Amino acid sequence: MSVMPLSSLARTSRAASAGAAEAACLGLALKVTGLVECTGEVHVRGIVRGRINAARVVVSAGAFVEGDIVAREVRVAGRFDGRIFALSVIVDESAAVTGRIFHNQLSVERGARIDGRTPWRPPNFFESLDQLPETMP
Amino acid sequence: MTMFSRSDKPAEPTVPQPPRPQAAAQPLSSTSTSAPTSAPAPAPSPVRPQSSQTPGVSVISKALKITGQLESTEDIRIDGEVEGDVRGLSVTVGQGARVKGTVYGDAVELAGAIDGRIEAKKVVLTATAHMEGDVVHQDIRIESGAYIDGHLKPEHGKAAAKPATKPSENAKA
Repeated sequence: MSVMPLSSLARTSRAASAGAAEAACLGLALKVTGLVECTGEVHVRGIVRGRINAARVVVSAGAFVEGDIVAREVRVAGRFDGRIFALSVIVDESAAVTGRIFHNQLSVERGARIDGRTPWRPPNFFESLDQLPETMP
Repeated sequence: MTMFSRSDKPAEPTVPQPPRPQAAAQPLSSTSTSAPTSAPAPAPSPVRPQSSQTPGVSVISKALKITGQLESTEDIRIDGEVEGDVRGLSVTVGQGARVKGTVYGDAVELAGAIDGRIEAKKVVLTATAHMEGDVVHQDIRIESGAYIDGHLKPEHGKAAAKPATKPSENAKA
């Protein structure tokens, strides 16, 4: 259960953005169980149960993600249950988050639901994150 | 009892908010509504307009790797790497993509590599296809240049539906 360290994500994401700007899209009717790994950007519109490792993750309104998200940047507009590990997190007004948001910069819009904790961490916590802490959400 | 008489719906504020007329459309929260809801918001969302280009199709892009199951009631296009089973209405495995596992669908088009199995009504193996494993199909088209290492079984649908009823009948007899 090792995680791609964010420091390596930073390198690959820059390379990916230079080449293919196309974001991966997990559509409305799609249900994924397991690990989703991406060097670029992932848009989730359907259901994901498991873990998402990516440079940038967008959980769209109507989407549901259960599990862990490890990314540099996360934007949640849908439902999320689990843990987020990201330097920058934006929680939109239509979002409903249960669990923990480990962040360095957090922005929550008025109307968003957050049930859980939002621990702040210094940037080097995320850079050296190659093993997720085994805490329950 | 009802403290501040708050309804439990998240997206319908009881306080009138003039700059947010789209709040009424919020509970539907489909793909089409997600783009306009975020558009007037001042928050930085440079990726939203571009993401609404493909409403139905799920794209597993080149940079993406999925370990586990993929299930969809719509079309799936795979350009990246999937380790596990894929179920969709129409599954397209693009050139350079790799799938390790079984691909189920009504129509499967293969231009990349599959190490596993295909079970579909209509199968198309293009010239760049690399198929290692069996293909269960009703209708197949193989272009010149496709690589196949496995059996082709023209029994999709017939074989899948029958064994569920037949063994029990045999057991009774």
